[in-house]
Amino acid sequence: MKAKYSVQNSYDRLRALQPDLNAVVTFVEEPVCENAEGPLAGVPIVLKDNINTKGLRTTASSRILDNYIPVYDATIVKKLKEAGAVIMAKASMDELGMGGTNRNAYTGPVHNPYDLSRISGGSSGGSAVVVAANAVPLAIGTDTGDSVRKPAAYCGVVGMKPTYGRISRYGIIPYASSLDHVGFFTRNIEDAALALEVLAGRDDHDMTSSFLPAEPYSKQLNGSLEGKKIGIFKTINDAVDNPAMHESFDKLVAGLKEAGAIVDEVEMPVELLDLIAPVYKTISNAEATANHSNLDGIRFGMREDGDSVEEVMTNSRTAGFSSYVRARFVIGSYSLFEENQDHLFRKAQKIRRLLVNSYASLFDNHDVIISFAAPTVAPLIEQSSDIRFGKDRFEEEHMQLDNFSGYPSLTMPLGLDQGLPFGLSVSAKPFQEQVLLDTALGMEKIIDWKGAIE
Amino acid sequence: MEKFSSEYFRKLAQDLKFDLSPQEIEALKQDFVEVQKQMEQFDAIDTEGVEPMVYPFETPTVFLREDTEADVISQQDALSNSAKVSMGHVHVPKVVK
Repeated sequence: MKAKYSVQNSYDRLRALQPDLNAVVTFVEEPVCENAEGPLAGVPIVLKDNINTKGLRTTASSRILDNYIPVYDATIVKKLKEAGAVIMAKASMDELGMGGTNRNAYTGPVHNPYDLSRISGGSSGGSAVVVAANAVPLAIGTDTGDSVRKPAAYCGVVGMKPTYGRISRYGIIPYASSLDHVGFFTRNIEDAALALEVLAGRDDHDMTSSFLPAEPYSKQLNGSLEGKKIGIFKTINDAVDNPAMHESFDKLVAGLKEAGAIVDEVEMPVELLDLIAPVYKTISNAEATANHSNLDGIRFGMREDGDSVEEVMTNSRTAGFSSYVRARFVIGSYSLFEENQDHLFRKAQKIRRLLVNSYASLFDNHDVIISFAAPTVAPLIEQSSDIRFGKDRFEEEHMQLDNFSGYPSLTMPLGLDQGLPFGLSVSAKPFQEQVLLDTALGMEKIIDWKGAIE
Repeated sequence: MEKFSSEYFRKLAQDLKFDLSPQEIEALKQDFVEVQKQMEQFDAIDTEGVEPMVYPFETPTVFLREDTEADVISQQDALSNSAKVSMGHVHVPKVVK
């Protein structure tokens, strides 16, 4: 990372790409390196716009926070600055993290650098495309229901979210607290290992932060696949019908076996997988409704006038949230009503446990589980939608299992179909990030990805 | 009030402190057809004896900190993001008239 990028070139490239990609909400006027000796000294980076940055506007791509300037840095911002990283910009996202297309951002949709008429994926779309377009080697995102990993797959880059509790979330505008993870985008596995090394670790400011020590992941990185037990998630892959994607996957599997890995297939009941999307939506909408009750225009954020405090709040929240987000709050709130809790919110939490128990059993005899990250390449912007509460396909939403379980997971480029990237999903047991990265490094060598934008 | 009527959604939105347009209410009525279907889908799953999963892990990560001042911000910082400030306070319309 350090050798390849200069701050000035990176800044110029970000500026030049902005009219096409629309990835940035706010540019840093004068980017600075605070530690020339750190592991990320001089590395230009971009942060998703839900990460609090002292003195730098942080909007979460919502109108209600359009004027919000944090008075403190998130823990990960402190860590990145101490490591010498240079913050260049804040990146667009789906409003408050709610969405998977990056169409629902106050500054408009983000465009995929492989085809500007296609979505970046979301909600961390801005962060994904600035790495894909080779403007920066590292961008930070957040992942509540595949919001780092899906856009990474659509944009041909590595997207990783480690175990729940591995990276501090202090200072990050939440979406759904029981599912929210910090993640990041890089252009290769080696950089991902270094990024995790900088970001990971206990933080007393985040009550969900793990006491388990972080490891020197990049120094320990070892791509040997000899004896690695790899499970192919057959139920997911069987639901994908793109021949080009299967061809690449089969080629990878042949390479894994050749390299000494022990590969077999694993399955989960379809009836359970069909519950992923409804469980996710029920839990995430309910938690979001509660988390965002503090956005009222009174102490911070955009305020609309009114004759009473209540009217100020109502006017501010009506003008401040998009129609889509207000609808999600209504649905979330409904599932929290006393009379509905047992049938919706609590029930979803119980089914979440059933899903996680079943998912965890896949890892009983495997180091990692692999599958397609998404069933297609990035959809066209006008053909994509964030279904509000309808029927979903489990092959589209399966990576949310890693949010339910908290298991570490990453996606990496697997191939191109008609010039558009598709990705591989790799997941491991809790706090086994080293195993995840080691295996991914071995797979990176076999895949030998040539589709990156230079 | 009839469940899932326009008035029902207006009241729900009012409790959440925002308004909904007639078009937004119509869209929500469609959403709630799906919510009802989903409730039936959930009801069909046997969760007898299953504990709700509130967080991914049950390992304790919390502790009681010393009761000392920490992470203090100045009054100026605390007020810096409020749209209306008066005499060192966040200013809002009169509550008691």
